[in-house]
Amino acid sequence: MTFEDDEILQGFIEESLEHLADIENDLLAIEEGGADIDVDLVNKVFRAAHSIKGGAGFMGLTVIQDLAHATENVLGLIRSEKLVPTPEIVNVLLMSSDQLQQLIEDIGNSNKADIASNVDALNMIYEQGEAPSIAAVQPSPILEEQVPTEEPVASETVEEDILEENHEAVLEETVSEEEGTLPPEPDIENDVSPSPVVQGTNKKRKAKSATKPDTSIRVTVSLLDQLMNLAGELVLSRNQLLQTITSGDVRSAETVGQRIDLVTSELQEAIMLTRMQPIGNVFNKFPRVVRDLSGKLNKQMDLTIVGKDVELDKTIIESINDPLTHLVRNSVDHGIESPQERLSKGKDARGLIVLKAYHAAGQVVIEISDDGKGIDGDVLAETAVKKGLVTQEQINVMSEKERINLILLPGFSTAEKVTDVSGRGVGMDVVKTNLDQLGGSIEIESDVGKGSTISIKLPLTLAIIPCQIIMTGGERYAIPQVNLEELLRIPASKISERIEKVGNAEVVRLRGNLLPLIRMSDVFEIERTFFDPVKEFTGKDRRENVADRRSGMLLSEKNTELENIESDGGSDRPEDKRKSDRRQSPASALNIVVVSTGAMKYGLIVDRLHDSEEIVIKPLGRHLQQCKGYAGATIMGDGRIALILDVNSIASMAGLTSLEGSERASKLAEANKEAITQSKDRQALLTFSSSPLENFGVPLNQVERVEKIKSTDVEDVGGRRVMQYRGGSLPLISIDEVAMVQSLDVQDNYLVIVFHLAGKDIGLLATGPIDAVEISTDIDDITLKQTGIMGSAIIGGKTTMLIDIFEVVQAINPQWFEDVTLEDRFGTEVEAPTILIVEDSNFFRNQVRSYLEEAGFNVLEAEDGVEALQIIEEQYNEITLVVTDIEMPNMDGFELTEKIKQHPEYSVLPVIALTTLAAEEDIERGKSVGVDEYHIKLDKERLMESVHKYAQPKNTIH
Amino acid sequence: MKPSSQSNKTAIELATFHVGDALCGMDILKVQEINKLMEMTIVPQSPDYVQGILNLRGQIVTIIDLGKKLGLGQTDLGSDPRNIIVNAPGEYVGLLVNKLSDVVAAEPDKIEPAPANMSGIQGVFFTGVYKTDNKLIGVLDIKEVLRTETENINRV
Repeated sequence: MTFEDDEILQGFIEESLEHLADIENDLLAIEEGGADIDVDLVNKVFRAAHSIKGGAGFMGLTVIQDLAHATENVLGLIRSEKLVPTPEIVNVLLMSSDQLQQLIEDIGNSNKADIASNVDALNMIYEQGEAPSIAAVQPSPILEEQVPTEEPVASETVEEDILEENHEAVLEETVSEEEGTLPPEPDIENDVSPSPVVQGTNKKRKAKSATKPDTSIRVTVSLLDQLMNLAGELVLSRNQLLQTITSGDVRSAETVGQRIDLVTSELQEAIMLTRMQPIGNVFNKFPRVVRDLSGKLNKQMDLTIVGKDVELDKTIIESINDPLTHLVRNSVDHGIESPQERLSKGKDARGLIVLKAYHAAGQVVIEISDDGKGIDGDVLAETAVKKGLVTQEQINVMSEKERINLILLPGFSTAEKVTDVSGRGVGMDVVKTNLDQLGGSIEIESDVGKGSTISIKLPLTLAIIPCQIIMTGGERYAIPQVNLEELLRIPASKISERIEKVGNAEVVRLRGNLLPLIRMSDVFEIERTFFDPVKEFTGKDRRENVADRRSGMLLSEKNTELENIESDGGSDRPEDKRKSDRRQSPASALNIVVVSTGAMKYGLIVDRLHDSEEIVIKPLGRHLQQCKGYAGATIMGDGRIALILDVNSIASMAGLTSLEGSERASKLAEANKEAITQSKDRQALLTFSSSPLENFGVPLNQVERVEKIKSTDVEDVGGRRVMQYRGGSLPLISIDEVAMVQSLDVQDNYLVIVFHLAGKDIGLLATGPIDAVEISTDIDDITLKQTGIMGSAIIGGKTTMLIDIFEVVQAINPQWFEDVTLEDRFGTEVEAPTILIVEDSNFFRNQVRSYLEEAGFNVLEAEDGVEALQIIEEQYNEITLVVTDIEMPNMDGFELTEKIKQHPEYSVLPVIALTTLAAEEDIERGKSVGVDEYHIKLDKERLMESVHKYAQPKNTIH
Repeated sequence: MKPSSQSNKTAIELATFHVGDALCGMDILKVQEINKLMEMTIVPQSPDYVQGILNLRGQIVTIIDLGKKLGLGQTDLGSDPRNIIVNAPGEYVGLLVNKLSDVVAAEPDKIEPAPANMSGIQGVFFTGVYKTDNKLIGVLDIKEVLRTETENINRV
């Protein structure tokens, strides 16, 4: 017979530990009460100590008995109000209860333990009515070293024999004690048998793995009854099922199926309940922890505990202990300030720590909040940089919350001086790792000077996890709901607005934040597919990226229009057609699962979102161990397997490794900037032909619309070609009328590209194929330059001539523009105003200059902001207007504008900004730094309108 | 599949099957079961010889395309293939084969070492060759077949 087998002994241990758990908090309450003794409470503790003494005596555990007895004596004095429970006395009592606990947990060795110091201290109180000096009650080193361990087998047998003997020897005494009225035993010191246990042996035992004997758990009988009932139900259902299968009755099979479903889920719940324990089991030790620590640190604080009844799985309760202790200690040590400091800040001298547990969204949330000094993100950031954990650049783009979360990085310990309370080199990262293992997450919020709140989210249980089921490439995958933040569906028409492509990565704007996007099919190298909810099928996706911006919403409409034209006339580009159709269909909506991995958040693009389901995790086989990105697999309702995604490793697979993706976002922004400042301004073009061998392009933003007409629609009237258009006549021109290019191909069908210039519509005859492209290549404005052609670029391997529609129209209809020439406004005798053009791209600069010079303005040129400022400095008196690009090297347009607008003298200069990026926030930013007007590059007409508005000749002012 | 012939004790029975054009065999005692479940879930990023994973009565079974593993070409899923489920340490693994053939009783001492031209990459997967009246059976070394690539690296 070993001790573990002995039911009576086991019962004693359980009961005693329960008593001790209560004793601790009761003692603290007694201390609180001070001289105002709550007799009931003291009685309770007294009885607890007495039961332990009785039980220990019965079992022959003399050492425990002695200690319990000495404790009981002191408590007796307090009960009879002969002794006031000062903190010192309570201290001794607490230490004794600690030692009792240790002895009981390691019951096999209890008779060898050295309890002299505690018993002496207690006896001194008992005899003299006051606590000895602190030094005397310091527990022996053994107490700190001792851990509950299993007795090595060899010595156990010996131990057993001794105990067996003692059993009977002490039996009599115990019985008499139980009957009697608890007289204090004066001869206690004789009973004390200082045990010969040497510290060395203790250490040796500690080295051995501390495998606890099989733990038991208390389950209420009503719960067992319920389980029994459910098991019965299940058997009945099985019988029904078997019967149904034999009879082949489909309808009753359904009923039986439902029944089994119901019973199974109830059974699952009930079984889960047996493992549930109140979190109070962990929380209850914290009053003591806080009391001891605050005493040590000379701080004053209260601890409020809320939600002790919240229940969690046993394994989680056990594993949450260490992280929670760490956090509470942190709050006491680093969070709450010293009373003096608190008073000087106008706070109550007593700090407050609140420990709170509650249910939220199927999870348990534990909050540890204090009203201390809070966590200063900037200090953390500085430390992190100093330790080389992050770079200054990363810090610069971090939000305050992200900075605070730096504390969770491995190798980060904030304690400036290491105390024995907290800050022992291991820090919050260990807490985070522990929580990660439990499937939990941690979040820190802090208000400097006011306090901080740490929230821990934990799953109720580990065995069954709720998951969101998604589909990509025709296969289903499960994403644990713990990682799930939200689901996003971006309709096809909004994609170009919401999704942006920066560098070669995609980001989505989510409530003002940039959220990096990861395309699941790319990370896992699955063929890109899309799911069509209308036709219920999954097809291959050929689009390169979702954020095909071209010119946003406007373009996609135009494109559809173009494609419709083409489809009428038997298009030779079916792929484009399909593409544009998809652009607007529900199938091209984007399904994004926003997931978080604690510190990081990103969007995973999937084909389809399914329901959420509760799944059971099963491990993957050996051959799949090296596959990254999976946390396991599960079996779905239909018997097929779905893989469970590990959002953490997906992030690292995709190269996302930062806090809330900010690093990536900033990287993207940088890449973006770089791409643009390489003077490769992107320009959306509409390309078309007019003859079989030549290709043309025209800036898309100048195009009003595209019409498809038959050659018979073109009327030759009065030497001009016109067509009927919206109830009027639309003049039609072709490029070859102006430029030296091949003449318009004679076809049955033409495309008419409609432009709106100088308040009038004009149509340009062209032939297909027509396409909209975004180019970033350099535009050559020399080789092919001629009237009506502003330059050329290589698009899709073909030299494409870019049409200057203003020049074309001006050549044909010079009278259209006459009314806005300069002479009319200023007269010939007035000197023309001077305009400064700031633009890094030769092509665009020349274009703008030609517009302006054509209109009679004097033009100064600068290649970037720095040069522009120099010119302004030198020739300020001449300059009446600045026209600037936004994206430029050295100093961009925003900065330049800011410098101009903040200068005392130059601030009157109007600034017109030109950009290819007419994004909302760019415009906002421009306005905020003082840009007077915003125009899209190559939109000559609007530009000229504003130029005329702002460019007043200098000398008219004088 | 025919019931096992009552052979003398020294004989082993080989379950034979076609992989690509080759006839292969393995000790029938190592076979857990044979099925034709093809409802596999593809595992992206898995080694190319892994066909997918399968739910075998609540257990997750990795299916290996034996043709690919042995370098004898991909198994054609259209031609009614079979999974031979074998018991690997700690899990079941399925071997996807083109077609099943007979169970052949073989005397162990008649199994000859693999011919020289069979060695090389594929050679490691065979313990030997068994010759019957009209055909040759390559006897598989299941342990070697189930070895993962990372273990191979460690071995070398």
